[in-house]
Amino acid sequence: MSMQKLPLQNLLRRPGRTLALTLLTALLAFSVFGGSVIVMSLRQGLNSLESRLGADIIVVPSSAQSKVSFQNMLLQGTTGAFYMDAENLERVREVEGVEIAAPQVFLASLKADCCSVKIQVIGFDPETDLFVRPWIEQSYTKELGDLDVMVGCKVEANIGENIRIYDERCKVVARLAPTGTGLDTAVYCSMDTMKTLLKAAEAKGVSHKVTSDPDDDVISAIYVKVRDGYDISQVNSKIQGHTRKCSAIRTKSMLTDVSDSLAGISNTVTILIAAIWVLALIILLIAFAMIAGERKREFAVLRLLGTSRSILSGLILKESALCSLMGGVLGVLFASLVVFPFTTLIETKLGLPYLRPEISSIILLALASLTATVMIGAAASAWASFRLSRVDPGTVLREGN
Amino acid sequence: MKKFSVASLLVFLLGALIAVGSVSFLGPCVHEDGSFGVCHWAGQAMLGIGILLAAESLFALLCGDRRMRQGILIPMFFTSCLGSLIPGTLIDLCHMATMRCRALMQPAMIILFSLSALISLIGFFAEKRGARGRAGDRP
Repeated sequence: MSMQKLPLQNLLRRPGRTLALTLLTALLAFSVFGGSVIVMSLRQGLNSLESRLGADIIVVPSSAQSKVSFQNMLLQGTTGAFYMDAENLERVREVEGVEIAAPQVFLASLKADCCSVKIQVIGFDPETDLFVRPWIEQSYTKELGDLDVMVGCKVEANIGENIRIYDERCKVVARLAPTGTGLDTAVYCSMDTMKTLLKAAEAKGVSHKVTSDPDDDVISAIYVKVRDGYDISQVNSKIQGHTRKCSAIRTKSMLTDVSDSLAGISNTVTILIAAIWVLALIILLIAFAMIAGERKREFAVLRLLGTSRSILSGLILKESALCSLMGGVLGVLFASLVVFPFTTLIETKLGLPYLRPEISSIILLALASLTATVMIGAAASAWASFRLSRVDPGTVLREGN
Repeated sequence: MKKFSVASLLVFLLGALIAVGSVSFLGPCVHEDGSFGVCHWAGQAMLGIGILLAAESLFALLCGDRRMRQGILIPMFFTSCLGSLIPGTLIDLCHMATMRCRALMQPAMIILFSLSALISLIGFFAEKRGARGRAGDRP
């Protein structure tokens, strides 16, 4: 047998020891890869939310704050329907410093309509909207027809399929790109389609009226972009004073809340990973120290046979590197099995924007996790390999007798 | 003769987990009003296939003959492949990715059935190798 094959043969000869070391290093790779993917996905989700919100201020009816948190609607896809007089749109547009004010109308479908679950329908005005349109144009550039809808990536409906909302058959014309936010669970349509749906909802007893006049138009939210050079806080206060029964929310404050929650989770994950690594490193050091004690005689014989100290050192290092590599691959594979298929579940449980990173970033992260695992395995065995390469064959073999 | 097949034991455990999971912690959506959607039938189908898989693997576990075990591992492989196609492919699930049947049941069941298929396949080749080795031992 050549010295090249000896490390592998040694590992195969002691399957129990090899398995234990492999599982320990697998735990290291699992924690670092799985944890990093989750933290990266949360950061990606926050970036996506920032770019999707686009607006500086969002105006919603005062009742929206109590009925359903607007933030929950955006982050978790909680359905909500709240309305204010459409006159408020003109009032907001009159405020000095407002560059763009685009309305949106929300409607929650009935549970049994299409999806066994309530679904959020969002009507927007393609003419004035500058916030939803750029996102939608990534998937659909044509004009939206009557009862044409576009679905978020988490609504399982194919293009060309009809979905029923308040007994109105709506045709799915596009599936939108993922954002990692609650916007992925919504259905989008034009204002004309929304008016039809609101009438259908009214016929089913779901009222959306805010005044006694049945012809009055309603809207649910106004997305506002502030003109350059104007102070957003001041414009926010002016809007608050200029509109009736409305709350103007600064998107920055909403993003700060999300960012704080994300920082909390990110820190917890980092502390957990660090704790697992420290613990595993200590166990690996103890394991290699015990192995060194156990294999003294074997190395003494190899020294007697003329094997150099550097070759003996390399032997232990190669064994631990091989074990760590196997464990690393196993850990990364297992973490992939847990993190990727259950992306939606993790997102739902965390209640924060969560968007999976690009495949190239995931591959890089996997390679980095593997490298770190192999290096930590080799580093843990370094002391043992140094001790074993310096055994005195005569003393060790005499001790045995 | 080797009287115990690790692959059959593992598939038995996976089959039992699938059967129990499909009606409990990995089961389809439960509606508040007691009604159920199309995913309920996917759960029922997986319960049946899980029981079938557990029964096949139990038979393989109790079987002393290597060639017979090898023969049982083939349908175990195909049963597992069929099971992995049930949620979402052969039987539709709810239309929202955030619902339990899509977020939990589908990925969990596909992973469990795929593991079972992989183990059955490895078990089949291990038994084949073992049987060939025994035949080679004969004078």
